[in-house]
Amino acid sequence: MTTRRAFLAGLAAAGATPRLGWAAVGQPAYLAAARRADGGFVLTGIDAQGRDAFTVPLPARGHAGAAHPGHAEAVVFARRPGSYALVIDCASGAVLHRLSPPKGRQFNGHGAYSADGALLFTSEQVAEGSAGRIGVWDVAAGYLRTGEVSTHGIGPHELRLMPGGDALVVANGGIDTAPDDRTKLNLHAMSPSLVYLRLDGSLLEQVALEPGLAQNSIRHLAVSPDGQVAFAMQWEGARGMALPLLGLHRRGAAPVLASAPLGDELAMQGYAGSVALSGDGTEFVISSPRGGRLHRFGRDGAFLGAVSRADVCGLAPHPQGVLASDGLGGLLLLRGGATEVLAAAPLGWDNHVVALAG
Amino acid sequence: MRRCLTLVALLLAAAPAAAGTDAALSARLLPGFAAFRDAAAALDRAAQDDCTAFAVLPAYHAAFDAWMAVADMRIGPSESGAASIAFWPDDRGFTARMLAGLIAAEDPVVADPAAFAEVSIAGRGLFALDGLLGDPALAGYGTSDYACALVRALATDLARQAATLDDGWRTGFAAVLTSAGKPGNATYLTEREAERALYTQLLAGLEFTADVRLGRPLGSFDRPRPTRAEAWRTGRPLANAVQSAEVAAALAEALAGAALPQTQAAMARVRGSAGRIGDPALQDIRDPSARLAVESLQQDIRRLRDAIVAEVGTPMGLSPGFNSQDGD
Repeated sequence: MTTRRAFLAGLAAAGATPRLGWAAVGQPAYLAAARRADGGFVLTGIDAQGRDAFTVPLPARGHAGAAHPGHAEAVVFARRPGSYALVIDCASGAVLHRLSPPKGRQFNGHGAYSADGALLFTSEQVAEGSAGRIGVWDVAAGYLRTGEVSTHGIGPHELRLMPGGDALVVANGGIDTAPDDRTKLNLHAMSPSLVYLRLDGSLLEQVALEPGLAQNSIRHLAVSPDGQVAFAMQWEGARGMALPLLGLHRRGAAPVLASAPLGDELAMQGYAGSVALSGDGTEFVISSPRGGRLHRFGRDGAFLGAVSRADVCGLAPHPQGVLASDGLGGLLLLRGGATEVLAAAPLGWDNHVVALAG
Repeated sequence: MRRCLTLVALLLAAAPAAAGTDAALSARLLPGFAAFRDAAAALDRAAQDDCTAFAVLPAYHAAFDAWMAVADMRIGPSESGAASIAFWPDDRGFTARMLAGLIAAEDPVVADPAAFAEVSIAGRGLFALDGLLGDPALAGYGTSDYACALVRALATDLARQAATLDDGWRTGFAAVLTSAGKPGNATYLTEREAERALYTQLLAGLEFTADVRLGRPLGSFDRPRPTRAEAWRTGRPLANAVQSAEVAAALAEALAGAALPQTQAAMARVRGSAGRIGDPALQDIRDPSARLAVESLQQDIRRLRDAIVAEVGTPMGLSPGFNSQDGD
C-alpha cells in the first residue's frame, strides 16, 4: 500500500530512518485510546484476537484517530474542543508531529487518510459559530496544512472516505458549541446533515432528515464496501422520545431510519456513540454507553436484537462479526446475537475503536 | 478513627465480591419480583371480580407498591421489559392518546390477551391504569362499559408481564449476575462488574427520583408543573419517591454486607422531609411553602445518594462509567 512517494517522503520526514509498516508493530487490526488504571492515557494497537500489539503513552485523553494505510503511524485527536492532534510512530511511540488547527479552528475528534496515504483530512469547525471545515494535510511534507474546505454544515463530527477513495462523507452534527467549552448553543435551531464531498471539496450531495428530527445530531458513520452509509445519531430534544438512532443512506436515495421496538429504543436513552458494519457485511451495530447496550440492525434497517454490556461504546468490523470495546476494559466479539469475550484488561477503553485499512 | 474502622469493616465485608450480589438478589431483588408477580396476579383477580375503579384501586395500589421495590432496575429482563410496565415519563402523551383511541373505537383487542400483549407499551401497564382509574372523566365507568373490559385486560396483561419478569430474573438473569467472571459470561467479566451494575442501578434510581419524579413536577419556580408528577391521578407521587429511596438504601446495605450509618441517617432525613409534605399527589406545589417542602425532599434524596457513594461506592472502588458520563 505504501506508495514510493509516501515512502520517500517518510524517509525525509523522519531524518532518513525508514518508516516501518504495520507488520513491524505486531500487525494490529485496530487502534483504540484508553485510560489506564493509574490514570494515564495510552494508544493501543489490538490484533483480531483482542491482544495488545503495542501500547504507546498519550499526554491526554484521546477521542478517535485514523491509521495511515501504509506505514505504522496514526493520528490521534484530542477530545473536543480539540486544540491538537498527534501523529504517533506506533513502533517507537514517538510523537512524529503535533498538528494544530489554524487560528480560530478546532479539531472535532475524527479524521481520515486518503486511500494512498498522501493526505489527511480532519474534521474541524470554526470556533465562533461552529461552521464545518475539513482540514487537508500533506502527509509527505510532514503533515503540512495545505488547505481546507467547507462541510456545508455546522459542527461536523465523524468523516469517512467513501469506497473508491474519491469522495468523503461527513456527519454534520448540527450543534453550535461555545468556542471555549462544549456548551451547546443552538439546541432549538439545529440542522444536522449528511454530506458527500469530492476530495477537492466540491459538494456531491447533502441529506437532511425531516424537521421533526432536527434535534437528532448526526455524529458517527460506517460505510459498507458497496457504498451504503450508516449514520448514528444522538437525540438532543426532550428525554424519553425514543426516536430512531440509526439512519442508512445510499447516494441519490432517501435515507432510511432504523427503529427498534419502543421499549428497546427507550433503553438506549436517545444516544448512539458508535456504529460499525459487521465483517460479513450483514448487519450494522450501534452502541449506547448510557443504556449499556448494543442494537443490531439488518442492512435494510430491520431491528435484529439487543446485546447488553455496561459502558459499551467503541465498535469496529471484525472478520467474524463486530468488535465492541467498553469503559470497563472489555473487548467483546459479537457474532450475530452471540457474544464472546476476547479480552478484559484493567483499563477503560475510550469512545472509539479504529479499524486499520484492509 | 471510627470512620476508618467502618471503612475497613466495609472492605472486609466486601472482600468476597460475589457476596454483595448474592445478598442483593436473595434479600431484595428476587423477593421483590416475586412479590410484584403476586400483587399483579391479585390485581388481575380483583379486576375480574369487580372492574369498577373503586373496587380495583386497593389492589392497584398494592401492585404499584410492590412494583416500586424493583421499579428502578433497568438491567437484564428489566432493561427493555420495565417500560411496558411503567411507561413514564411520557412527554408526548402517548398513554392518554392510546387510552382515548382504544375507548373511542371500543377496540375488541381487550377480549384477546395475546393480541392485547401486542398493543403499544404506552397503552399498557401501571400508567394506563393510573389514567383510567384516576381520571374523573374516565373512572366513573360501569360494569357494562368498554372501560370495564379495558381495565380487566390491563390487569391481566400486567399479571402476565409481572410473571414473565419474575421468571426472567429468577430462572435466567440471576445466574448471569452470580456467574460474573466465569467463562462464558460475556455480560459481567468480573464479580466486581456485577456489583457495579447493581450499584449503578440504585444510584440511577435515586437520581431519577430527584431529577424526574420530583424535578419534573417542580419545573421552575415561575412555572411548576404538578400534572407532570408520576401517577398523580391516583395520588402516588410522594409514595413512589419515598419507596424508591427506601429500596435504594436497603439495596445499598445488601450490596455492602454491612450497616451503613450515614445512609441510614440520610434515609431518616428523607422520611422526615416526606412527612412535611401536605399533598401526597404533589398537586399543591404552586404554593411556595408546599414547593419548598418538595425541594427539601429532593435535596435529601440527593444527600442519600451522596451517602451511598461515600459508604458503598468509594470503599468498593466503584465509579461511574468512563464513556456513559462523557459522550461525544
